[in-house]
Amino acid sequence: MRMSGVIGVILLAVAVVLLPVLAGGQWVRIFTSTACFALAAMGAAFIYARLGMVSLAQVALMGVGGWVFLRLNHATALPFEANLLAAGLVTSVLGMLLALPALRMRGLYLALMTLMVAGALEIVFTARQFPNGGTGFWGVATSFSATVRRPLLGQSDPAYLRYSLLVMGAGFLLIEAHRRAAPGRAWALIRRSEAAAIASGVNVTLYKTWAFGLSGLLAGLGGGLLAGSLGLLDAATFRASESVLLFALVVVGGARFWFGAVATAVLYRVAPALLNNWGVDADLALILFGAALLHAVITAPDGIAGQILGFVGALRGRMPGVRP
Amino acid sequence: MIALENLTVRFGGLVALDAVSARFGEPVSGIVGPNGAGKTTTMNVISGFLTSQGGRVRVGDTDLLDLPPYRRTRWGLRRSFQREEIAGDLTVEENLRAMLDNLPLSRADKREELARALDFTGLGAERHRLGATLNSYERRLTDVARCVIGRPKMILFDEPAGGLTGEETEHLGALILAIPGQTGAQVLVIDHDVDLISRICSQTLVLDFGRRIAFGPTAAVFDDPAVKAAYLGLEAEDAGA
Repeated sequence: MRMSGVIGVILLAVAVVLLPVLAGGQWVRIFTSTACFALAAMGAAFIYARLGMVSLAQVALMGVGGWVFLRLNHATALPFEANLLAAGLVTSVLGMLLALPALRMRGLYLALMTLMVAGALEIVFTARQFPNGGTGFWGVATSFSATVRRPLLGQSDPAYLRYSLLVMGAGFLLIEAHRRAAPGRAWALIRRSEAAAIASGVNVTLYKTWAFGLSGLLAGLGGGLLAGSLGLLDAATFRASESVLLFALVVVGGARFWFGAVATAVLYRVAPALLNNWGVDADLALILFGAALLHAVITAPDGIAGQILGFVGALRGRMPGVRP
Repeated sequence: MIALENLTVRFGGLVALDAVSARFGEPVSGIVGPNGAGKTTTMNVISGFLTSQGGRVRVGDTDLLDLPPYRRTRWGLRRSFQREEIAGDLTVEENLRAMLDNLPLSRADKREELARALDFTGLGAERHRLGATLNSYERRLTDVARCVIGRPKMILFDEPAGGLTGEETEHLGALILAIPGQTGAQVLVIDHDVDLISRICSQTLVLDFGRRIAFGPTAAVFDDPAVKAAYLGLEAEDAGA
């Protein structure tokens, strides 16, 4: 395992042990949703970094995962894990369907197409709301809201935070396992040149579909986890503009590195909460994000993660006995 | 034996290949011609990046045009591009594994093929270097390694010597000449470098404006007045004088 991977596992272990203990009150739920959005951010980052494709529907896909999770939770007696897995798989299939136009489109046109999908899902979520234990296909009741089951190991909020962090870690490992195996090599060739990939025998259709399916899986798992945390989802959380914002923050965080996805989610969820805590309007975060995006585009293409790596590399270079 | 039979490609009103036929029986053969002659178009049809409006590409009992492009690799077709297409974020070894991943070989065979390709191209010491850190010749050698790996039957090189120094071109030429003996594959080379083609190709096809203007033993082909005319822009009679 590379050094950054080892550090990642150590940091995850520290976070699993300490974060639920140190964080109090609302922060437990904020960190839980940060872990959920980190999963979705990882999906968007991986598509962007490995295939050079922009998906602006990632938060909307989280909404799909959340919807499936809630619907199954209220309509069946399936355990939490089964509902979560189903949320991931259904969203994965939707992600694969998204890949169909990706086979013919790229660049701006693909991004616009995914944005249209996010817009369509926003309309559905707003018009139909999320299941809350009602009857019928949509499962929405106006007078009450049924409870959402949680995993055996995550009944309390702090325990659920631990559970979410572990699922996040598993998602990151899944991406890393892909990166090191045949799919990762195929994606690297496709990113370099589809012609070169085909000349190497890569089935470009299969691997692009696979990538979108994997990205959708992570978004679906994130959405399902978020639903388990909050118990009830709001359509406003999954607006198309949120998908655009998340992708912008993926660029700011650094799409090529796992800790870039963590930085993305921290910016997305923790920064506005911090501003609120300090009595500052959370919308100020949007201005800060805009400035950060400009900075990333102009001077730091690898985002915050790349800058941290550069800083660590420079420090190691100054240490006696360590070659830069 | 590689047989091109009446290959025809049209882009709207432009005829890029006009019923081109040739039977390549030598281990290393060449395709030459001025810019726009249809050399790369021929290569793109053979490798499946372009669809021909007519014709066949037969190798033994197989018509390559019946196979989807990525399946041609599994069959045994390899090709390089004018620009080295090496993934910069993969190591040399990973670039080669990306090819092996798609071939129907056992793990042991893949390991053996990898070692053989690295040894053949002399890239063994560079196997763990990222593609982005290689110089242009090392990237070209990685391309060659990718072409010889996995028991190929037919290898297409598209201007392999482009941008190389004289010394590098000489080394590359020797390497290409050794490929049939090493792998059993037949090699087709496209290049503008007449010296390189003369040195390594026993048989050469000359194209001009999508038409075959000469085909046969390389020395005889380059003595053909029509070929000289195509290259030097002279009337055929002047070129023959």
